[in-house]
Amino acid sequence: MLLSPYRVLDLTDQRGMLAGQILADLGADVIAIEPPDGSPARSVGPFAGDDPGADRSLFWWAYARNKRGVTCKLDHPEGKALVHQLAAGADFILESSDPGVMAARGLGYDDLAAGHDTLIYTSISAFGQTGPKAGYQATDLILMAAGGPLILSGGAGEAPVRVSVPQAWSHASGEAAIAAMIALRARSATGRGQYVDISAQQSVAAATMSANLAASIGAAETARVAGGMAVGPFTGKLIWEVADGYISLTFLFGAGIGPFSRRLFQWMYDEGECTQEDRDLDWIGLGAEFISGARPLSEWGRLMEVVGEFLRKRTRAELFEEAQSRSLLIVPVTTVDEVANSEQFEARDFWREHEMPGWPEPVRFPGPFVKLSDNQIEYQRRAPTLGEHNAEVYAELGLDEDALNDLRIRGVI
Amino acid sequence: MTTTKNSLPNAPGIPTEGALAGLKVLDLMWVVAGPTATRAMADFGATVVRIESANRIETARGIGPYHNNGQGPDHSGLFGNMNINKLGLSLNLGTTEGRDVLLDLIKWCDVLTESFSPRAMRAWGMDYDSLKQIKPELIMLSTCLFGQEGPLSRVAGFGTMGAAIGGYIALAGNPGGSPIGPYSAYTDYLSPRFALPTILAALDHRDRTGEGIYIDQAQAESSLHFMSTALLDYTINGRVPQLVGNADPVMAPHGCYAASGEDDWVAIAVRDDGDWANLCSAMGQGELTCDDRFADLTARKANEDELNGIVSGWTSEHGAVEIEYMLQAFGVPAHAVSNSSAAARDPQFQHRGHFVTMEHPEHETTTFEAAKGRMSETPPTYRSVAPSIGRDNDLVLREILGYDDERIAELAIADALT
Repeated sequence: MLLSPYRVLDLTDQRGMLAGQILADLGADVIAIEPPDGSPARSVGPFAGDDPGADRSLFWWAYARNKRGVTCKLDHPEGKALVHQLAAGADFILESSDPGVMAARGLGYDDLAAGHDTLIYTSISAFGQTGPKAGYQATDLILMAAGGPLILSGGAGEAPVRVSVPQAWSHASGEAAIAAMIALRARSATGRGQYVDISAQQSVAAATMSANLAASIGAAETARVAGGMAVGPFTGKLIWEVADGYISLTFLFGAGIGPFSRRLFQWMYDEGECTQEDRDLDWIGLGAEFISGARPLSEWGRLMEVVGEFLRKRTRAELFEEAQSRSLLIVPVTTVDEVANSEQFEARDFWREHEMPGWPEPVRFPGPFVKLSDNQIEYQRRAPTLGEHNAEVYAELGLDEDALNDLRIRGVI
Repeated sequence: MTTTKNSLPNAPGIPTEGALAGLKVLDLMWVVAGPTATRAMADFGATVVRIESANRIETARGIGPYHNNGQGPDHSGLFGNMNINKLGLSLNLGTTEGRDVLLDLIKWCDVLTESFSPRAMRAWGMDYDSLKQIKPELIMLSTCLFGQEGPLSRVAGFGTMGAAIGGYIALAGNPGGSPIGPYSAYTDYLSPRFALPTILAALDHRDRTGEGIYIDQAQAESSLHFMSTALLDYTINGRVPQLVGNADPVMAPHGCYAASGEDDWVAIAVRDDGDWANLCSAMGQGELTCDDRFADLTARKANEDELNGIVSGWTSEHGAVEIEYMLQAFGVPAHAVSNSSAAARDPQFQHRGHFVTMEHPEHETTTFEAAKGRMSETPPTYRSVAPSIGRDNDLVLREILGYDDERIAELAIADALT
């Protein structure tokens, strides 16, 4: 595995667990450290069988894979000492507590890197460790609002709308994995680790596709268009209703997309559903004709109507199949069940199964996020049960069964 | 923007400092997903040579926001943001001579990244299996919507399509309405979070073992890791997510509420009964905490329409930023729903230095986003604005490849540098 030589102490909760999973999937030895009564992530739904009991959180099941799990009470002096001992053998620390909490526990970067200057310590927080909003209370929705993606999604004049599966902390976790790896590369040159401070607000800004720069570069604000995108004075419609649901069709002119629109109109022409004049428009230069006034802007609305009419008579499958033979920018809008049953992901052997304790059947999870020519990503471990690897991991620190029992009785692990 | 006082100078060159100094990247990617990953490497000191051709203008150059609302290949703020710090070489890969230059650059680089549709590189004899014969330690990333194999691998597409077929569009919208989806090319924002750690891990592995590696990324697959819980909820519980607006199963009130300004919205998320009591106090309606209709989460979810009506009634009398400050002072999660001008004024973004201004040859200045990670020992550097087409031909051909005048003239005659 690519990262086999490295060890990660993962002190994150639901706000950062994907970071450790990315490193674990690439082969790092990731030890997830939870409080003795369980990570707060274990209380994050949905739950298997809709039973919010212990070891039923699908969030924990998904994002603790490939990790070993130990318990440790960080606020107990002996717990703190255990983390110090584990950190001494670790290359990376990941944490997602509110700013200042780890330092107050004596587990901040300065504490753990003292005498261990190769350590790469990455903190994930809502707004970053310092600054006027560092103490803000935040959730997924709040971060999508503060970082810029939310205002762009929704109908004109209507309330902006979010993706209902929380996304913001995954964006931050992804950036944490990137920055930790950049720090590893720096370490291989300098021999020194460092402190990395990730802000979820900054991370989700990527999902504005640079629309967040408009005011700074003298551009107009990007209009909110339900199922589409404003492209200068034009509305680029992306989501179209068809006979049995919705498709995504990128319909526009210009050098990049114009040739695809030309091919769409060829199909429509072949089916007798558009005129030769429409088919033979200058699909590359059409935008300039609208802007110069050579062609009235209302023509764009009419062309969208012609396309809409054509699509409404056809099913998603018909459209998608023809799109592949004619090279058109059409795909179905798929729902989660269709994603799970997709032939494509099946054909690429994407899914991976794990036996989950207390669950009758093997459970199918998303598989490798990339395919590698060698050192493939493997899912060797399901998410750990509470304290599953206590004996194994703490034995490395020289703690025998008696010592562990003693710590257990006193609630340290 | 007219002020240049705090803008950085624009000086393309080969970086010598940074976490990734000395790393050589050849970038054959375009639009957003790929360039995001190579920009992060460039920010931290890698030399990134980006190939473009005037014969097929890169799509991002046509996507806004546009500097000063203008038109032209160097007006796109998106292109600018994606390609800061990179060197631009114009190369006509339709010519044999152009492909010879490409091969020389492949021999030069540590990492080759490409986002053509599958088979393009194969057609040129530049697929990984061929390239590893001449360069076994090469790290190569191919990234596209569906990956190199499988029934849909020939479906070329943008991230907007990835968002549709990857399940994201169907996850955002209002009850009973059409799916709306997240903004634009959503999977393009997710896939670099998986591609880049893999490239860096592969480099670390190469340094230890001398082995190269080929990375086949299907952006649609990587992106499913951002919706793992929904996939499990379906496979285990049989549940398919419905369009629910901004409603949340465990929080209420939870939504975007209209504030007093134009297109002025505030996001509010009440996590528990404590937040609810604090919200009632902030609204000056403490009596609501004793109202049975809203006593706990179950009650608030059962009476959510009424609840949202009460909150909206209050928010409509105040500005979104004012509400944000008021509610955060009470410890209630809230934030104005920021557009680009709010973001530019946001004191936290300013504190983080999120927006960086640099001199620009055509626009006086440009603004782009800072690198995401704030690193204590190896900060990013910002050296040059995104290249105009062919801006760095001389630097790349002479300094990096060591070509002489004659060779360059031959390439020009063969139409290889357009």
